[in-house]
Amino acid sequence: MKQKRLIIRSVILLIMIGAVSYTFYSHYAEERGVVDQGDIAPNFRVQDPAGNILELEELRGNGVYVNFWATYCSFCRDKMKYMNEHYKEYEKLGVEVVNVNVDESTLRVERHQERHQLDFPLYIDRDMLVSNAYGVASLPTTFLIDENGNVIERQIGAKTEAQVIESFDRLIPGGN
Amino acid sequence: MEKVKCECGHVNPYGTYLCESCGKPLKEEEGKLANMRYEGVARRSQTYKKSFIDKIWNFFSSVKVGIWIIVILLLASSLGTIYPQEMYIPAGENPTTYYEEEYGTTGKLYYQLGFHNLYGSWWYMLLIAALGISLVICSLDRIVPLHRALKTQRVTRHTGFLKRQRFFAKADTAENPEEEIDKAEQVLLKRRYKVRREDGNLLAEKGRFSRWGPYVNHIGLIIFLIGAMLRFFPAMYIDEHIWVREGEEVVIKGTDGEYFLRNDQFFVEYYDEEDEQFREALERAGAPVVETFQTNATLLRRTDNGAVGVGTELEEVKQQEIRVNEPLTFEGFSLYQVDYKLNELAEFTFAIETEDEELNEEIADLRFTVDLYEPDMVYEFDNGYRIEIMEYFPNFYINDNGTPDTVNRVPDNPRIIFELFTPDMDPETDTGEISLIGIQMNEEINGENEHTIRMVDLDMLNVTALTVRRDRTIPILIVGGAIFMIGLVQGSYWHHRRIWLQNRDGEIWAAGHANKNWNALKNDFEAVSKSAAIPVPADQADNEEAGPEETEGVENKNGPTKQ
Repeated sequence: MKQKRLIIRSVILLIMIGAVSYTFYSHYAEERGVVDQGDIAPNFRVQDPAGNILELEELRGNGVYVNFWATYCSFCRDKMKYMNEHYKEYEKLGVEVVNVNVDESTLRVERHQERHQLDFPLYIDRDMLVSNAYGVASLPTTFLIDENGNVIERQIGAKTEAQVIESFDRLIPGGN
Repeated sequence: MEKVKCECGHVNPYGTYLCESCGKPLKEEEGKLANMRYEGVARRSQTYKKSFIDKIWNFFSSVKVGIWIIVILLLASSLGTIYPQEMYIPAGENPTTYYEEEYGTTGKLYYQLGFHNLYGSWWYMLLIAALGISLVICSLDRIVPLHRALKTQRVTRHTGFLKRQRFFAKADTAENPEEEIDKAEQVLLKRRYKVRREDGNLLAEKGRFSRWGPYVNHIGLIIFLIGAMLRFFPAMYIDEHIWVREGEEVVIKGTDGEYFLRNDQFFVEYYDEEDEQFREALERAGAPVVETFQTNATLLRRTDNGAVGVGTELEEVKQQEIRVNEPLTFEGFSLYQVDYKLNELAEFTFAIETEDEELNEEIADLRFTVDLYEPDMVYEFDNGYRIEIMEYFPNFYINDNGTPDTVNRVPDNPRIIFELFTPDMDPETDTGEISLIGIQMNEEINGENEHTIRMVDLDMLNVTALTVRRDRTIPILIVGGAIFMIGLVQGSYWHHRRIWLQNRDGEIWAAGHANKNWNALKNDFEAVSKSAAIPVPADQADNEEAGPEETEGVENKNGPTKQ
């Protein structure tokens, strides 16, 4: 009898506490992005000012560093400077960088490329289709995608040169 | 815990005040009247205090705790109304500074304590959750024993129970008590009492179902709270905001990139100031008053499921005019017109002028239009003139490094740096005439320019703001609310009355109990006394100074709820 009472009470309490905790979890887990660690990176297609189209799937087999950026974002500028200095050596190791601008005018993107002497192509996400699909809310946001197309990390905000290099290292196929 | 066996043979749970079956008082109580709350049953939570689980259970089972939770919730909720919540401060304002600027020190404190987002704060949600848990446990802990006590109650009650009812009378005048009780039975049956007889004794009962009212009410409230809880799940509830410029196609948030909306046109209509009907009111308002605003929208759907981005194909689903209270709906989603921004800059048209009159005629017709969202890099003219845009700042400002920059990509304050080449210049090697042009500004950058690029026209467009909402919790909230009201009506407009008539050695003992509206019970007794020789019982509560239920209620820590 006493045993039964304890079980009934425990079950009722567990159900209620479980429901409440799950609600809290899902509410505060909003920090988890639309696309985040462990997800399969949705395929996307972007175009650079010269008209070259890049599809993410074509880069399968490489580690991909997808960076969403804007010309007016100063953290993006710093980060892309570090990327520009190191991406060539990592390209040989199978790491690709994809810079996706969030729907600015072609003019601004081209002038940005000229002024900062960025050697990699700068793709533009027209109508923010890709940014929306990836849940990009603040800039810069970077997705590290491994050679199998899985997101291994989502990074938001400023990064130091050492951090960018570390991320590149993680992306080397078969590296870890 | 030992059970308590009453002399009538019924075994009661530990902590019972009045035997569930015959009503014999099992505990000595102060005062003349029995405490009839919950039929004198043991609320087990208040008697067992053993394991950790029991302690949690007992805490939430207390009505006192429940009331405190409600009081704290009320206080907290009212605090949240002192200043506007974060979602209602003007768009674009930064809450970290807004509250202090607008409301001073108290505003700053308000923000720091987190009251700007009170109804979404973790502690407020915890309080609501605690209220829900309290409701469930309180109700369970009371309805189970109460139901059992009312089900097991006997017709023949213990004399101690009868004597201690608020309505009680004894009559030894009757010659044939058996017959008088029979007569009373007829009266009570006519009054639609349910009558049970046992050994010549009678129990008449009416409106027992109203005792379940509070619990039905609580079930409704719990369903309502579950509905509210489900709003935290995007599958059940989506509340998003989209801004769409005229001509622009924007993905509708919450649809996983499947649906898009195009703003074909947006306009605002004002009340006619010439109209006699409105003139007085409009003069009072002192400014034009918006009569309606409307978005002519096209809903689009993605046709392919391949890669997002370039090459996404959209097909038109439907066209509709969206006005306030006339949303566009599709697949459970509704798009409501909520806000707008008029006259956002879209295009500048420029002309070229010079002081040289002869030359002026030659270039008088040169016009070029710059799209502020997608300007061209070069504008070339047939007569050899060439204008390049060196830099473009949609929303100009000087950044921390002291260099010109743009705040974002919206052309709120556009500045363009043009470089003009005359036909005899070589754009590759020569430097043209450079000028910085914006709204009401035209600066020559490299010395005196022979030519002036002058803005001759501009084009603006409107931006509409729509709320995207999908709410699948509405049916749950309606069901919960309906059950809530049913319970409220059930418990408020009916009441539970019982009349006991007993033949004890030639004496008629009459007692009555009602959970409220004692007056109606008294009327019933009066009706009985007209046809049978049964006296109308006196109200024993009149003799006691304080209401017995109240004093005992406090003593027994039963809390202030009525039963």
